[in-house]
Amino acid sequence: MITQMQVNGLMFDPYNNAFIVILRDEDQAEMLPIWVGKSEASSISLSLENVAPPRPMTHDFMKSYLDAFNAKVISVVITDLNENTYFAKVHLMYEDSEYAVDSRPSDAIALALRSQAPIFASESVIRKQSSEELDQWLKNLKPEDFGKLDS
Amino acid sequence: MEEQTPHLADPLIELTVNRVVADTNTDTRIIVLTRTDGSAENFTVWVGAPEGESIKRALSTDVTPRPMSHDLIRNFGEHLGIRTQRVVLTDVKSSTYYATVHLENKGVVRTIDARPSDAIALALRCHAPIYVSHGVWRRRSGQNLEAWLTKLETKKIGTQEV
Repeated sequence: MITQMQVNGLMFDPYNNAFIVILRDEDQAEMLPIWVGKSEASSISLSLENVAPPRPMTHDFMKSYLDAFNAKVISVVITDLNENTYFAKVHLMYEDSEYAVDSRPSDAIALALRSQAPIFASESVIRKQSSEELDQWLKNLKPEDFGKLDS
Repeated sequence: MEEQTPHLADPLIELTVNRVVADTNTDTRIIVLTRTDGSAENFTVWVGAPEGESIKRALSTDVTPRPMSHDLIRNFGEHLGIRTQRVVLTDVKSSTYYATVHLENKGVVRTIDARPSDAIALALRCHAPIYVSHGVWRRRSGQNLEAWLTKLETKKIGTQEV
């Protein structure tokens, strides 16, 4: 089962000196934060703002590489989360055949935005991400947090 | 090797990427290329840090745990049967270099416009030759950058010659 997601926003994470792409589903029920580097965030931001730089940047180049032979990006899917690393696949259509290419989510998202292709997340990723959040929260609990009663 | 292509009046000079120098004062990298035919003069192109690092990785045997942007483009090529034939630095305007990437699939050749950084990063991953047009080669910086590059690499910028 896959859920279609939208790029809801881009944030800076000062603790990790990295950027976070926020993906949200249509109902705003599920949220996926994807950590990306500065250059990927910049690429995603340019695409979101519809800004065309004077010379083609890496993901513009990536798109024109595919355009040269009419290969289309059908969709991208965030497929898995493993040890804090997200995995994605770029689905391409070329000459009546479909191809699934392993990718980082940042590249997949930057390319999807430029191709007006939908972004999906698998149910297992959404589930894993919310359970990792819970683990993280649990890890951060201090002994004094226990035993507190609502007063 | 100077190569004459039938449709270009301007002969091409093949280049080899020699090394990537970090200019840590700015967020840039300097790609140093030398003529494949062995003559002394080099050619330098200023690129951004991410692109420079991508080129540097391609020069080494380092493998990243996940495919980076230029690895992905190379992988697209492998899946779709698109071959990167060659990369040419075709022009320079107001200190900006322009490149053309020649792609081939089932005998059909297409060219795409690119920044030299992306073109070189992909060429290295696809083992495609890199050329500069003679006209662009002639217009490259006349200054002897070698001494300055050495200083950068040994981080002696700002120190006095004794």
